[in-house]
Amino acid sequence: MVTPSAHIILANLLFAAVRSGTIILYPTIGEIFAERAGIMNVGIEGMMLIGAFFGFVVAYLTKNPYLGFIAGTLAGGLASLIHAFISITLQGNQVVSGLALTIFGGGITNFYGQHFANYQLKTSLKYFAIPWLSKIPIIGKALFNQDVLVYLSYILVIVMWLILYKTKVGIHLRAVGDNAQAANAMGVNVYATRYFWTFFGGLLAGAGGAYLTIGYAPFWLDAMTAGRGWIAVALVIFAMWDPLNAIIGAYLFGSLDALQFQLQAAGTTIPTSLLTMQPYLLTLIVIILATVIVRVRHIGVPKELGIPFSNEEK
Amino acid sequence: MLRFEKRENVSLKLKILVPIISVLAGLIIGAIAILFAKINPLIAYKSIIIGAFGSKYTFTETLVFATPLILLSVGLILAFKMNFWNIGAYGQFIIGAIFSSYFALFGPPNLPRFLMLTIMALAGLAGGAIWALIPAVLKAYWAVNEVISTLLLNYVALNILKYFMYGPWRDPIGHGFPLSKTFALNAQLPKIIPNSRTNLGLVFGIIAAFIVLFIIKKTKFGYRISVIGGNPNAARYAGINVARNIIIAMLISGALAGLAGMVQISGVIHLLQIDINPYYGYTAIIVAWLSYLNPVVAIFVSILFGALTAGGFQIQMTMQVPFGIISVIESAILFVLIGSGILMHYRISFVKRRA
Amino acid sequence: MENNALKAENITKYFPGVLANDHINFDLYKGEIHTLLGENGAGKTTLINIFDGIYYPDEGNIFIEGRHVNVRSPFDAMKLGIGMIHQHFMLVDILTVLENVILGLQSQGFLVNKAVVARKIKEISEKYNFNISPNSKIWQLTVGEQQRVEIVKMLFRGAKILILDEPTAVLTPQEAEVFFDILKQLKSGGKSIIFISHKLEEVMKISDRITVLRKGKVVGTVDKGNVTQRDLATMMIGREVLFNLGKKPLKMGKEVISIEHLEGYNDRGIKTLQGVEFTVHSGEIFGIAGVVGNGQEELAEIITGLRKASKGKIYVENQEITNSPPYNILKKGVSYIPSDRLKVGLVPNLSSIENSILKCYNEEPISHGPIMNYSGAKAYTGALIEEYNVMVPRINAPVKLLSGGNMQKLLLAREMLEKPILLIAVHPTRGLDIGATEFVREKLLEARDGGAAVLLISEDLDELLMIADRIGIIYEGKIVGIVKPEEVDINEIGLMMGGSHLANSMRH
Repeated sequence: MVTPSAHIILANLLFAAVRSGTIILYPTIGEIFAERAGIMNVGIEGMMLIGAFFGFVVAYLTKNPYLGFIAGTLAGGLASLIHAFISITLQGNQVVSGLALTIFGGGITNFYGQHFANYQLKTSLKYFAIPWLSKIPIIGKALFNQDVLVYLSYILVIVMWLILYKTKVGIHLRAVGDNAQAANAMGVNVYATRYFWTFFGGLLAGAGGAYLTIGYAPFWLDAMTAGRGWIAVALVIFAMWDPLNAIIGAYLFGSLDALQFQLQAAGTTIPTSLLTMQPYLLTLIVIILATVIVRVRHIGVPKELGIPFSNEEK
Repeated sequence: MLRFEKRENVSLKLKILVPIISVLAGLIIGAIAILFAKINPLIAYKSIIIGAFGSKYTFTETLVFATPLILLSVGLILAFKMNFWNIGAYGQFIIGAIFSSYFALFGPPNLPRFLMLTIMALAGLAGGAIWALIPAVLKAYWAVNEVISTLLLNYVALNILKYFMYGPWRDPIGHGFPLSKTFALNAQLPKIIPNSRTNLGLVFGIIAAFIVLFIIKKTKFGYRISVIGGNPNAARYAGINVARNIIIAMLISGALAGLAGMVQISGVIHLLQIDINPYYGYTAIIVAWLSYLNPVVAIFVSILFGALTAGGFQIQMTMQVPFGIISVIESAILFVLIGSGILMHYRISFVKRRA
Repeated sequence: MENNALKAENITKYFPGVLANDHINFDLYKGEIHTLLGENGAGKTTLINIFDGIYYPDEGNIFIEGRHVNVRSPFDAMKLGIGMIHQHFMLVDILTVLENVILGLQSQGFLVNKAVVARKIKEISEKYNFNISPNSKIWQLTVGEQQRVEIVKMLFRGAKILILDEPTAVLTPQEAEVFFDILKQLKSGGKSIIFISHKLEEVMKISDRITVLRKGKVVGTVDKGNVTQRDLATMMIGREVLFNLGKKPLKMGKEVISIEHLEGYNDRGIKTLQGVEFTVHSGEIFGIAGVVGNGQEELAEIITGLRKASKGKIYVENQEITNSPPYNILKKGVSYIPSDRLKVGLVPNLSSIENSILKCYNEEPISHGPIMNYSGAKAYTGALIEEYNVMVPRINAPVKLLSGGNMQKLLLAREMLEKPILLIAVHPTRGLDIGATEFVREKLLEARDGGAAVLLISEDLDELLMIADRIGIIYEGKIVGIVKPEEVDINEIGLMMGGSHLANSMRH
């Protein structure tokens, strides 16, 4: 029999899991779509930092968290354009370009961020409970008593799923990622498609970072994202490039993250560092499993991923 | 609109020009970023140069910062030649440092210096090698993406370090800071330039560079690595045991990173601490690329980046300019370098769109 | 009244180092089937790519039904009623037929009206007997069905001019007949067709007029009734073509390789080999004929150890080698010329030297113990290049910069210089010009005359009939017949390739 207090602990844990998961859900969705178009962007960590920092600054200066969120989102998108230009037009090595973007993001936020170290946001996001749904035991509070940006992420996932499978845009996207030559021959502008979805990925990476500094932890610290961008890269594989699966992965990671905090708060004797380690360790195990499954089932990986496209004669 | 035409061969002139332009472009982009912070870039850059070459001491500091870069980048070059994206040099560096610290902190205190340092060096090599073995095996046998696996292991390594530094290895008289006891003299790498921090690690680095150069250019193993990197299927056809060679190459790559870790704690800071800089692991990637995967060139590029690092600390100290600007400059250099990669294989012309 | 569906005047197109189309004049009457004939590199593909808007000519004009037009993209071409079906289908595997049909279509809105589209697809499919279901995923369809999807795509968009690039390359003679019927129906439906082929027999069968290209120029445009195959061949090559390479009489020796009930899967997990059995003897060329996709590539990969057999046994010189690592198999004297040279055979970024020593790098004098002897390797490569006449501008430059023909020659040289006892060649002349093709076939005969056993897997029936001593026909993963070229005609082989077994099909 489940005691009432266990109920509450679980509910609180899930509530925190969703919040933490949302930080990572945005960039994972974004990168799913970028990779579906064939572009691999490992610069998510850098874009998240940029989004986190610039979002924070704008939110702080304007005292408006929503403006901050928009600013952070846009900043992430702008940063991704560098990677897009190098990967798509100049056909450069995408892994190294993404790495450079991450280093760049870390450097630039460190450089400008010192001034804002430990500043706190006084304003916060609006919370509200969705009537009736939020009364569902345990998961009601976790899913339906959240802030606006969490709800936005739900809408985002559903909308993106519809776009991917039910619209012409989605068909074009899937075509470009599976057979760019064919898409090109059918009149789809491969370059434009890739630019668009890389930019989209950057926007969402920035959004995830902005949520971190505006919604989740309303302050700025150097290198705050702590590797979440890399977890997002891994989660894309785990989700097998499907936006609905991304939720599972993101909230799973969020649970690990939340669990680790709960244990610390409960005064566990397990050393902090071993707790903070396990999300990364577990993501690694998840990736190993996902890789094996993908290989065995021959599904998922967009065939054009990482391969530059050129419609000039070879 | 841009139009690309394939070149028949790659000219040497371009090969030299492109990196130089990349460095210049990086510096310009850095200057723009500095301007936005309302600081005079010329003063900042002058300060960087002073920090790097301004005096005999600062020049030795440049060498101090170059040392781990040499070891790390040389190890990365071997991995990259095989198309193995070892982003985990940082983690391998840390584990190497941890392994060698064990002996420094808990080994027999009266051990002759030569012996202690040899053991520590071997421990460093072993630690880095073991940490690299994990992603190597994952890739070799299960095709797990090495970018992600090496990256995640970096964070795991960092947390292992934190565990030791906040826990059992913390110096009891250190006022609660996460530092170990300072190493005894017999655990410190000897200096090679008096009155500086330049230590024997630099020599390790240079020797390693030449050894790896020899491996790549002259040995069967080096040939096999090139084939695997160029076409793993052809490698299999040629009877090359791809899995085994990936693992051996990564063991070497990780070992060198681990040795770099040992050099850092034994030769420079003389203790183990949390803030073992993540910067080196990622900068080494840029160095490896800028060197066209040539280990001897990497020595010089490492010195260049060592200079940037020294300069970065200088402006941080004297002008309160955060060190991050150095990463901005370095990543900008890398962007321009990758972007110009296409120039080497294609001629670009502007074609006017016909009406 | 404008009789030309399409007219091209003075079309000229440069690429670096080559003039692909040299002031070409070409016209297409309404309702005709006009064949473009020529060898690889003659300029046919460039010309049709210009019609389809993939390239833009440097000089010249195109007129559609008398109106001057600018075709700047496949999208423009589509609007003008030009539909191209490429040799390599422009289909996206993971999408359905319906999704492929509407890919790139401007008239579709943001949300896809699947019902309307599906109905129209079914209409077209029924009209021409295509038998296509709108909701199948492309990767589930056969090659023939995929080709019909391509045609549906064009008809859906109202194409009036169809350009077909080597459409029968992937069909059996029987399927090709069905295909020709479809073409005739399209003709009577008012469509005009440009047909590209290098197969003289079918060109003579299906065309109304034929335009022959050679080295980028038009050699001539003729009515089908006024020429013979020999005339066309001469126009294509510019000299009398050797239809017979002067094969020496067969001196068959002992059995070199024996395959027993071999079964295997392809990359998609489909069982493409269902019990293959045959033997090859020294001194003979054993050809394997079959439509691409009946298990040939997997067969070669399994024999060379690059793929696992799920069942069955392979013996080389009476020793079992089934599922041995490739190196052990190669060490027995087996050489392999794969169909995709850049996939397995060569390392694109490495030099000619490094590529030519791929199989012997472990031996003296190329290496001494663990150390490489690159000057020895260079000498070895130099000798190899000279003997096989490979054009290598710089021996240290990456091999990917060489032309396709020279890459194949380098590969051939490397594999044959080892004096193998068994040489496996898969589509060795695919994509090569006639000079290189002749060279490769001569070398294969040379190997045979020298006592090697040669297993030649080829999609080119003429090639097999020309040089093979025996031909095994593979269909759905089994050898359904083994024949001698001089005792059988091409139709019989075609029937077997298409799956109809003759009463006494096993004649050895």
